[in-house]
Amino acid sequence: MDFDLYQFHEGIKKDGVLFCYSGPISQATVEGIGVTLRLNMEIAEAGGYTTQNVFLVFVEQMQNILNYSEEWLTSELDADKELRKGILVISQAEGYFHVYCGNRILNKDMDVFRNRIESVRLLGKEELKALYKERRKGEREPGSKGAGLGLIDMARRSGKPMEYQFTKIDDTYSFFSIRVSVEDRT
Amino acid sequence: MNDFNNLNIAPTKSSPEITLDADAGLLRIRGESFPENASKFYAPVIEWIAEYFVEAAGRKTVFEIEIVYFNSSTSKVLMNLLDLADYAAGEGKDVSVHWICDEENETAIECGEEFKEDLTHVPFAIVIKKNG
Repeated sequence: MDFDLYQFHEGIKKDGVLFCYSGPISQATVEGIGVTLRLNMEIAEAGGYTTQNVFLVFVEQMQNILNYSEEWLTSELDADKELRKGILVISQAEGYFHVYCGNRILNKDMDVFRNRIESVRLLGKEELKALYKERRKGEREPGSKGAGLGLIDMARRSGKPMEYQFTKIDDTYSFFSIRVSVEDRT
Repeated sequence: MNDFNNLNIAPTKSSPEITLDADAGLLRIRGESFPENASKFYAPVIEWIAEYFVEAAGRKTVFEIEIVYFNSSTSKVLMNLLDLADYAAGEGKDVSVHWICDEENETAIECGEEFKEDLTHVPFAIVIKKNG
């Protein structure tokens, strides 16, 4: 075989990867993998609080791909049928569950992403709580499909500042990756 | 109430069971809530509840919320719904909120407390269910 699945499997296992998904994502993917993720956490005897936080970050990350990924498959027959693509990885290391998410974005949107993340990643617990509540009461950001709350919510669940990076693909696209680290309080 | 149809929505894997019963004065949301598009999913619910509070002058109303997990866009919608209840209570209507959660669901308890802090008029009880 030209693709060595065993090498790949052992490689990600060595990195503490519990779970990895790459490809088209639909709401059904979020629901199905979500059920398995909870079951996995239960079998691994992770505490309820840790499980809820990992699940929460997982759903926000997956739904970000659903809403924002600039890489998708569209049916030529039915323009409403489309599937956005991305990658999601959950690993366990040094007392954290790391939830990684990656997808393609437009270069021109890079600054918006960076500014949104930088505006929250170093805030303390109380500041994040205040911002979350203010944003929840406020009006929706123009052009945003989400409430803009998702990122603040993830920052609140992250036991250390969220990490992110952009990798340039070409003149139009970059690949955006973000890591949220949920503390394992089990 | 006349000409006011109840609204019932069956649960799915990512959306809650919704029971809006005008005659019983019961508004209930129960289950999980992370639909793909929360504002679209909840649009008929918001419309129903807004209209209900206009019509339900002297009626005793209980708004029961028992959600295991909800995503951030649902959180925004819940705030809108609770604001409607808060406004109705501010007008003197007999409405109360019961936020129901499992004793082991620390996240849900915290979420209830954070909603409660952002409301002014409506009585808001956090009801913690014991296991076993």
